[in-house]
Amino acid sequence: MYRLTTFRPKSFFAEFFKSLFFVDLIKGLIVTFYYQKPSENITEQYPKERPRVAERFRGAPRLNKDPETGETLCIACKLCQLACPIDCIEVGSEKVEKKNVLTTFTYDIGHCMYCGLCEDACPTPALELTQDFELASYNRDFIWDRTRLENGPEIVKYKK
Amino acid sequence: MVEYFVIPAVQIVVVFLAVSVMVAYMTYLERKVVAFMQARLGPMRVGYWGLLQPIADAVKLMIKEDIIPAGADKLIFTLGPVITLIPAFAVFSVIPFSGSQFSVFGYKVHLYITDVNVGILFILALSSIGVLGIILGGWSSNSKYPLLGSLRSAAQMVSYEVAMGFSVVSVLLYTHTLSMVQIVEAQKNMGWWFAVIQPIGFIIYLICGVAETNRAPFDLPEAESELVAGFHTEYSGFRFALYFLAEYANMILISSIAVTLFWGGWLAPFPNVKALAFLQVIPGLIWFLLKVYFFLYLYIWLRATLPRFRYDQLMRVGWKFLIPVAMANVILTAVLRLYLK
Repeated sequence: MYRLTTFRPKSFFAEFFKSLFFVDLIKGLIVTFYYQKPSENITEQYPKERPRVAERFRGAPRLNKDPETGETLCIACKLCQLACPIDCIEVGSEKVEKKNVLTTFTYDIGHCMYCGLCEDACPTPALELTQDFELASYNRDFIWDRTRLENGPEIVKYKK
Repeated sequence: MVEYFVIPAVQIVVVFLAVSVMVAYMTYLERKVVAFMQARLGPMRVGYWGLLQPIADAVKLMIKEDIIPAGADKLIFTLGPVITLIPAFAVFSVIPFSGSQFSVFGYKVHLYITDVNVGILFILALSSIGVLGIILGGWSSNSKYPLLGSLRSAAQMVSYEVAMGFSVVSVLLYTHTLSMVQIVEAQKNMGWWFAVIQPIGFIIYLICGVAETNRAPFDLPEAESELVAGFHTEYSGFRFALYFLAEYANMILISSIAVTLFWGGWLAPFPNVKALAFLQVIPGLIWFLLKVYFFLYLYIWLRATLPRFRYDQLMRVGWKFLIPVAMANVILTAVLRLYLK
């Protein structure tokens, strides 16, 4: 073990006058004075400026639709239902002309752990976890049905 | 008749309103300055840059539930904040804001409410009454933390008042009068502010002033982390607002007295130097407010910078260091005044 600091004995008068004239106090005051730079501040004014999250951030789920036809991209294969470790997803389908067509799709965001396994399991770009993290609500309607999932996240814009 | 009742009444109302608004915006200023010094921004949401925050605070304090703890002495619990608040505001009647006077409808109106012959004595006496309110508040709360906090706070205030008195006496040796207006006039006659002639007295007055108002670094009795909240733990809603108001009014008071005694009141710097006569264009009231603002900023600056004293360290500084130094300063000044006449 070696000492990390060396003790150099300072002269008695230097120490005495430093404490008499509050030298260390004044040094501290100067430091805090120069810390005041509100123009360089990086505080994010939250409701006006939202934090920028990564593209791969796993937030609220969304059922995507085809941009040209407006029909859902989901093929009702139920792979997301199988992949979910918590069984949050319920997919309902019916056979129309020998093809599975999606009827109901419910997603329980209360139990969901946003692991993204359903997004990975989906063979089409239908199920996607968006970057919306503001999921707090005033009531307990945690089971989102198909319309709400297709609408996607609604971000309230604050002007001030 | 008019000049004894109507004019002072109007002046009192004006000063009361001005001090109340200043106290409210002191809270805002404190939060902003401490925030800037800590590399953050402070209140920003209420109004533009948070300027309406004091109004939000006032409304919040008024609509909060008023709780009186079980077993508390109701009358004294109610009286405590009032006893602290009234002297804090009453002393503003002898502080000279400016030396100029103007006439309204033929009556002479000066910019201070009154000028008593014993101004300094009146101020020291009334500021001692504030200690009583703190003791009563802590005792009547029927709870251990407020009791300890109030006793510590009272002991601290009493011990720093002695050194403050001595530093004030060292100024009085030059002015030969206790009247506040005459003290400022004496600084004008000497050409120097008393802070230059009596630097030790000024520093001691500043330290004692910070300790008197229970502000950092001497704020152990009301520190949030040490003693829950000291003597105002059990107070909520408007009663807490009264204690809060009294503390900030005391801060403004100590700053005003420091400005009057040591920094030349309403005088411009170097009042007798002809070359700097252009500084006299700015009215005395503005100089006074600028100087008081500097002292308030210094209070907040000290709060943001320094850690707090432990209670025994605090009492040691007060009794073993400040009082002997203040006494030595008085004796030295008296000897020098006598032999350098």
